[in-house]
Amino acid sequence: MATAASGAARREGGAWRWLTLAPAATIYIALAVLPIANLVVMSFHDIRWADGIARWSAVGFRHYAELSRDPLFAAGLRNTVVFAVLAVGAEMVIGFVLAQWVSRAGRAEIVYRTVFLLPILLPGIVIGAIWKLMYNPDFGVVNQMLALAGIAGRDWLGDRALALGSVIAVDVWHWTPFVFLLLLAGLQSLPQDVHEAAKVDGAGTWTELRYVTLPMMLPTIAVTFAFRLIVSFKVFDEVYLLTGGGPGTATEVVSFTIYRRFFTEDRMGYGSAISVVVLFLLALTIVLALAATRRARERAAS
Amino acid sequence: MHLTGSTPRMAADGGTRILEEKMAMKTSKRRFVVALVRAIAVGTGVAVGLAGPSAAQDAPRVPRVAPITIVINQSPWFAGFSAVVDAYEKATGNKVVLDVNPFAGSAEKQRNSVRAKEGQFDVLVMNSAWLAEIYHGGFLVPLNEIDPSFRIDPLVFNYDDTAYWDPKSRTNNAKTGQLYGIPINGNIQVLYYRNDLYRKAGLKVPQTLDELVANAAKLHDAPAVYGMAQRGARSASDISYDWMPYLHGSNGSIFRNEKEGDFTVTINSPEAKKALDAYVALAQKSGPPNPGSWGQAQVIQALLTGKAAHATPVIAAWSQVDDPAKSAVVGLIDAAPVPHGPGGKSTPTLGHFIGAIPKNVPRDRQVAALAFLRWFQGREAQIVYAKAGQPPIRRDVYDEPFMKTPPYRWTKAVLESAPNARMMYTVPEGPQIVSILELRLNQALIGEKSPADALNTMAVEIQALMRGAGYKSERLPDLR
Repeated sequence: MATAASGAARREGGAWRWLTLAPAATIYIALAVLPIANLVVMSFHDIRWADGIARWSAVGFRHYAELSRDPLFAAGLRNTVVFAVLAVGAEMVIGFVLAQWVSRAGRAEIVYRTVFLLPILLPGIVIGAIWKLMYNPDFGVVNQMLALAGIAGRDWLGDRALALGSVIAVDVWHWTPFVFLLLLAGLQSLPQDVHEAAKVDGAGTWTELRYVTLPMMLPTIAVTFAFRLIVSFKVFDEVYLLTGGGPGTATEVVSFTIYRRFFTEDRMGYGSAISVVVLFLLALTIVLALAATRRARERAAS
Repeated sequence: MHLTGSTPRMAADGGTRILEEKMAMKTSKRRFVVALVRAIAVGTGVAVGLAGPSAAQDAPRVPRVAPITIVINQSPWFAGFSAVVDAYEKATGNKVVLDVNPFAGSAEKQRNSVRAKEGQFDVLVMNSAWLAEIYHGGFLVPLNEIDPSFRIDPLVFNYDDTAYWDPKSRTNNAKTGQLYGIPINGNIQVLYYRNDLYRKAGLKVPQTLDELVANAAKLHDAPAVYGMAQRGARSASDISYDWMPYLHGSNGSIFRNEKEGDFTVTINSPEAKKALDAYVALAQKSGPPNPGSWGQAQVIQALLTGKAAHATPVIAAWSQVDDPAKSAVVGLIDAAPVPHGPGGKSTPTLGHFIGAIPKNVPRDRQVAALAFLRWFQGREAQIVYAKAGQPPIRRDVYDEPFMKTPPYRWTKAVLESAPNARMMYTVPEGPQIVSILELRLNQALIGEKSPADALNTMAVEIQALMRGAGYKSERLPDLR
């Protein structure tokens, strides 16, 4: 009797759980699962319009096979990885240094924090316009400043050897404040007594940083790094506004390739195939980043 | 007239959810979140505070019709079109809403509208870049289905038959096709050159590419003045559009005979090689240091600031040439037909626009749209258009006395070139072909590939593309 009652209660509880889960699950399926499923289905089709009707024809894995021969996709993937690693690496280092500095700045902290945050408040389109003017080889402020120091100006966006580096510099300028903000919050939430104990034990600034601050900050650093890495993999606006992927393929990134294939060339099937591959790579990056974070947290705990 | 439209929006990244979920161990979650929220609040609060936020009788009679919406892009010639719309509303009492967008945005809006069950726009102002896609898609209504008596005025330029479409042969053909639209803007390239520098150097206006290369080298005085400014950038359509008159003007082509259905790829012909050699020579001998990153805006800027002796922008850019607020070279630039290769003739590329009516709008709005197009091709409208500094689509307007005055000194070049103007492509695969051309031409320009290698690569890629799309396509043997 008691077993039957508890079984009924379990069934009721299970039904209630499903019922309460249903709204969230419906939204998730409608907004995430279905679009991705649609993307996957599209990637196996060629979609053309004739007589006002979309005609789908199955092409199997042809689009995926084509990826290996696509010069823009190859260049885009390569540049995206370089972009993500260099930009995020620089942002992490500069952001951490600034956060360390500001966390010890006393009353001036608010002023510094405000100034450092300004770039992240600007819309991407404004940043593109500002930096395009600053990089202008004829009248840009970058070359003018170099001229003051007696250094010859360069064509920062037109020279294929410099273009990707110049775009990375803009990204670093734009996103370092975000990293700074997270790391500053992390630093300020660290327990002060550990720092004080280190000082009492005679630890210098470097020793304190190396053996106290960095280990305790590792989880924050790892999560911030992972988050920025994922976002930087999707870079689009800076490339679109500054270089359009050129000169040659010097600044082609994979998001821009998708835009070009999907919208400019109206190749919905092939554009979907690129999107699916990029989605897979991003998911892989997230899994690896989360695993690294977990390991960092465990190391910090031990 | 009511204006509406859009500008690109960049998606903002954001969110700290992952961070909040993952912070643990020695870093207290609550303390972290409190510190983060405080930092954002203080930082953004202060920072936002700092940042803050004579021919009236020629005009066709137009009945009162339903209001219409026209989707159009913001181009240098838009002011002229807008003036014509104002004149139309004043003359007829009919209402027009203009949906104004960036170039690429206009294409996307048109694409979305014609693919919907009921379209949002009654007149599509289509650029030659996406004309093929819309024609092939079968989205337009033949104008004679709305009014069997409607004809395009014989005085309107033909622009390579692009207002006509033959769905059977899938070509623009005035003889076999039906009329689907009227030209809205006759944008073609001409050679802009500095008349003062020409006088000083005692040069003759070039007619051939060799003469242009020689003149540009003579006038090249970098960094003060570049002999030639080219649209060498890789984009949706920059370098391919800029180079196309060199190709067609040298008797070269992408396909052997697109209009007759012969899709043998001929982009790697000796004629194409000569055309590309001339283009690269101009860049190397007389161009700016990195021409591979120059788009239309830089070219026009170089012309207007006096930093370019020659360039071949579209005629729509002329409206800025003699405007003292925009130009440092008022009165110092003249226009001529774009030079051609040996045995060829000046053949500018069409960058024009066709106004057409979609199938998927109600009949009363189609009738209203046709009333506007009928009025637009009339002499009165085109005089308004020309007085706003834009090239009229009718021959007779070029005979008006005001068109003989110095501000209109470009008309001779346009009149000579327009009859030869050609489309870049007429197949729906055109944007993919252009994408190939953009990359390989840009690589040739910046020295990543030799001209022969670039052309051979293009031929292989275009042939593969056409075969993949179901065309019978061969190609010429590789250039050496």
